[in-house]
Amino acid sequence: MPSVGVAEIVSTVVQPDLFAAAIRIATPLALAAIGGTICERSGVVNIALEGLMLISAFFGVAAALACPVVLGITGVAASWIGVLAAILAGVVMASLHAFASITLKSNQVVSGTAINILALGLTGFLIQVFYQRTGTTDSAVLIPPLFAFDPKPSGGLATAWNWFSGVALGHTPLVYITIVIAIAAQWALYRTRWGLRLRALGEHPRAADTVGISVVRGRYMAVLMSGALAGLAGANLTLEQVGSFSENMTAGRGFIALAANIFGRWTPVGSYLAALLFGFAEALEIRLQAFIGVIKIPPQFFLMLPYILTVVVLAGFMGRAVAPAAVGKPYEKE
Amino acid sequence: MPVLELRGVTKVFPGVVANDDVSLTLERGEIVALLGENGAGKSTLMNVVYGLLTPDGGEILVDGNPVRIRRPRQAIDLGIGMVHQHFMLVETLTATENIVLGREPTRLGVVDLAVARASVVELSERYGLKVDPDKRVMELSVGMQQRVEILKALYQGARILILDEPTAVLTPQEVTELFGVVRSLVTAGLSVVLITHKLEEVLASADRVVVMRDGRVVGETRPSDTDEISLARMMVGRDVVLRVEKGPANPGEVALEVTDLDVDDDRRLHAVKGVSFQVRRGEVVAIAGVSGNGQSEIIEAIVGLRRPRGGSITLLGHDITHSSTASTIAAGVSHVPEDRHRRGLVLEFDLAENLILGDHRRMPFSRRGFLRPKAIAATAKKRISEYDVRTPSASVLAGNLSGGNQQKLVLARELGRDPECLIAAQPTRGLDVGAIEFVHKRILAERDAGKAVLLVSLELEEVQSLADRILVIYEGRLVAEFAGGQVDAETLGVYMTGGGRGAASGVSTTGGVSA
Amino acid sequence: MSTPEEITAQRARWMTVAQKAGTPLMSVLLAMIVGSLIVLASGGDPVAAFSSLWEGAFGNAYQTGETIMRSTPLIFTGLAIAYGFRAGLFNIGAEGQLFMGGLAAAWLGIVLAGLPWFVILPVMLVLSAVAGALWAFIPALLKAKVGAHEVITTMMFSFIARYFVSYMLNGPLKAPGPGGTPGTIPISAVLPPQSTLPKFTDLFPWLPPNNAHVGFLVAIGVAVVVWLLLKYTTVGYEARAVGFNPFAAQTGGVSIALTTVWSLCISGSLAALAGASEVMGVHHRLSDQFSAGFGFTGIAVALLAKNHPIAVIPAALLFGGLAAGSGFMQLNANVPDKLVDIVQALVIFFVAAESIITWFIKRRQKEATRNA
Repeated sequence: MPSVGVAEIVSTVVQPDLFAAAIRIATPLALAAIGGTICERSGVVNIALEGLMLISAFFGVAAALACPVVLGITGVAASWIGVLAAILAGVVMASLHAFASITLKSNQVVSGTAINILALGLTGFLIQVFYQRTGTTDSAVLIPPLFAFDPKPSGGLATAWNWFSGVALGHTPLVYITIVIAIAAQWALYRTRWGLRLRALGEHPRAADTVGISVVRGRYMAVLMSGALAGLAGANLTLEQVGSFSENMTAGRGFIALAANIFGRWTPVGSYLAALLFGFAEALEIRLQAFIGVIKIPPQFFLMLPYILTVVVLAGFMGRAVAPAAVGKPYEKE
Repeated sequence: MPVLELRGVTKVFPGVVANDDVSLTLERGEIVALLGENGAGKSTLMNVVYGLLTPDGGEILVDGNPVRIRRPRQAIDLGIGMVHQHFMLVETLTATENIVLGREPTRLGVVDLAVARASVVELSERYGLKVDPDKRVMELSVGMQQRVEILKALYQGARILILDEPTAVLTPQEVTELFGVVRSLVTAGLSVVLITHKLEEVLASADRVVVMRDGRVVGETRPSDTDEISLARMMVGRDVVLRVEKGPANPGEVALEVTDLDVDDDRRLHAVKGVSFQVRRGEVVAIAGVSGNGQSEIIEAIVGLRRPRGGSITLLGHDITHSSTASTIAAGVSHVPEDRHRRGLVLEFDLAENLILGDHRRMPFSRRGFLRPKAIAATAKKRISEYDVRTPSASVLAGNLSGGNQQKLVLARELGRDPECLIAAQPTRGLDVGAIEFVHKRILAERDAGKAVLLVSLELEEVQSLADRILVIYEGRLVAEFAGGQVDAETLGVYMTGGGRGAASGVSTTGGVSA
Repeated sequence: MSTPEEITAQRARWMTVAQKAGTPLMSVLLAMIVGSLIVLASGGDPVAAFSSLWEGAFGNAYQTGETIMRSTPLIFTGLAIAYGFRAGLFNIGAEGQLFMGGLAAAWLGIVLAGLPWFVILPVMLVLSAVAGALWAFIPALLKAKVGAHEVITTMMFSFIARYFVSYMLNGPLKAPGPGGTPGTIPISAVLPPQSTLPKFTDLFPWLPPNNAHVGFLVAIGVAVVVWLLLKYTTVGYEARAVGFNPFAAQTGGVSIALTTVWSLCISGSLAALAGASEVMGVHHRLSDQFSAGFGFTGIAVALLAKNHPIAVIPAALLFGGLAAGSGFMQLNANVPDKLVDIVQALVIFFVAAESIITWFIKRRQKEATRNA
């Protein structure tokens, strides 16, 4: 017989911080996944999200660390400049992918793979060049949470407040910005001219072309936007969560993001919710570690979940999951 | 003043003059039918007008002003709209979204769907083009999709509407409705160019008919001044360049028998409707018809590339209706596909590798899963010389051969197998005269060796010179049968284009030679 | 005696070989030039960097042994990716099949420990390959039946494999600690000697000390087998036909679905051999960090080899040499070893250089017509 009862485990694990952690873990995944959604909706496969995140995470920290010396800006302000640098790094790296896959019409998966390897090598290389050591950079100033979390004494409404503030308050700015981006991107995709044209590009670029929509320009825009969003994801990792950059710190998050994009059926809000689900699985796994002797589910199962679910979706077991029809195909004019 | 005028438009593709000095006028409120066989250059001409192709010579005038159209956008801005044979619709978007795409009514970048929808409803009511504006295109019938295409052109401000083979995908009722719509469009002041190869449509709907053949305009008339026979003559009549010598046929037992065959096409439309015919040993049976009338689907069903919906296919008495392609080949059916680059050859393979495709699992080319290079090389050498494939060696890639030599390679493989039955689709498409003669001789040699030959061709001349019996297909049905050498091209042309129904009433389409 | 035609044909064949090798060599050269620029920009000495890289890769017997050791798994993964490409499939999940191969080897090596080495070694290799094939089977089936893209499914399966291995190493396969105490680190027990691949120095004691093991010979042998498979069997013939032109293959009676399943499974089995050879020849046990991204480097190897099984060997030696020399370079030229990854990524980009070249030509032509 286990020494700890199930009810006890539930009450220990199901606490506000579990959900807060899920939201926190989901944020970089969701940002990159929304980037992937926009990119793939335009007809360009983006398996480079991992590399884009990694390179931005590094340049975010590097810029924040350089700020005091170069610009004389210190503290959180430097970190915000780091966020901008991260976005820029993501866009620059994404432009490489755009050039290869749109202009040169080379294999988009090959190009993405090259970017992932390049990001890994370049960041490792630059750590040593900039900081004369391997593995990790110095720490930048972390961007603090937006709201102060203020627990009230227990009882009645106070419990509800504590839950609310524990789950929803106390996050860093990009966490909220991500939610705004998810909703805004969803709205833009289905309500704006840009979104309508983007959807047309990924489904039937020729139809778009015959009514005068530039396929090349539209796809470049989308790939660069995915770079910017992956850049924000990288910035969140280093400047809001960890503070420093360490080698390969994205550790496959870019691929989970790709999975979230698919699981979310190529929609921004869907991507966010999928990221949230995957984030929840990971948060739960971390908290259940404490009860490893009682709960017999191996922790690896929770970590596998995003990948298994994605395959299940692709296999068609959960309704039709249809990628944009023209995704991965370079556009050829006659 | 004509709203659209073409003067001496010329378009050259590598090796082919698709449009040769074509001139044409279109008046306001007029329906001009552009009539011609496949490959006569109709669609090319209209793609030039729409800015999808760049002309090599000539002038285009809109409202009397010379214009240069290099992109569809420019054509649209000049008031030219085109409904393509393959619809340019985004299936996952709604009818309204498709119609306004590229010219969306927006407020600060936000698509004003209410305004868009209202314009669509207004347009569709004005011209009697009923569509559900909120349905996604993938949920609409083909006829509905076509209306969306027409509405799209109208929404973009088209005054000149080009319809490319608009009836090819429609049911008879939809065709009637379409022509009603077209009539109301011209009454409202639009002008319409109707690309078609169907005589009845021309006679029923056009104000003027322009007939094209081999890239040139060969005649112009009004429906009231002409009839099916003379139109067909204009369309297909040409100087006979070559005709192979051939002896009388010596038909033997039935080799291939197709009974009540029903086949769907890729769009799941009923493409072959209750087709029955036989091919005997020692005869060439040709299926004549305009492309897209179900010929490809018949062949694909026979060779196992497409599952028939109903009916049966037997080879020498054995049922092969649901056989795989591999076992159909093994049973003795050889197939010269209509598109040799797509289906006939692996262009990245060398000649020897191409020559064993389909036989590669059998002796002498392989044993227990291992290829036998010596046997393959020996056979390749033999077939290459036997079929006069001009190449420095058998290890040259098929993609490096000329078109004629590629087709000889396909023949070398398919005939070299010594089949019971040969199915040849468009076997001389794109070949020069010498290669055509070679292919024709080979096909007749197969017949004389007692093989059953089924020929599918869009070239009437080829049908007439090779066939012992001619079946005419129109909209998925066999509509007439003639003995070879006893029918002229005009008559065939009439049947192929849906005419001559009255005259055809006495013609049997199931059994032996009747006409 | 050769006829003039045969001589011309032979010469043409050599010309095409030279042409085929041209782009890869060019792309390696370009990657090294760009790599040098990066070194220069970071304040290093590119000449020192690349000469010490060379020194570290082939400078002495020990370093050459390191190169051979590191290129061994790359030959296998390079073959895996190349075989997939030949059949029109992008097996980006080779890393996962590699993990399953390693897992199978680590388990079998202990289970079969009672058998003599000449039975146990081939059985381990074959069954590891089967494990990789099985791991590729579901993505292959999904591709053939519902058209689920193998890039996504094999990638997902590769993560699942890594977590599965992690689970096994934390549970059933975890090595006991000293004196029978429960183990603390996720690592499997050490294989008995009869289930490991010997080092060359074990077989030939007169060789100078180095770490190369006979897995390298196995890899070369497998490369030859794959080459023969593609060239001289119906399975390989059909794979190539489908890869080049599925429609023509189908018209020739080849089942696209069946060929897809076979090809991806063969690819998976080749990747699994990389894992098995690492476990059996290098680490002699399984840990969850035993692959240095060999599955991904295999993509670079295959691209550089233009998917030719024999050309995979030199391509793998190149990347193996880069890996072996990188530490040496860091030590002696003070250039970060990560330069090697950058060069590798650049090689991948530049192998697509063919299209860069055609793109330039097209642009030139466009400008010419515009000016005319």
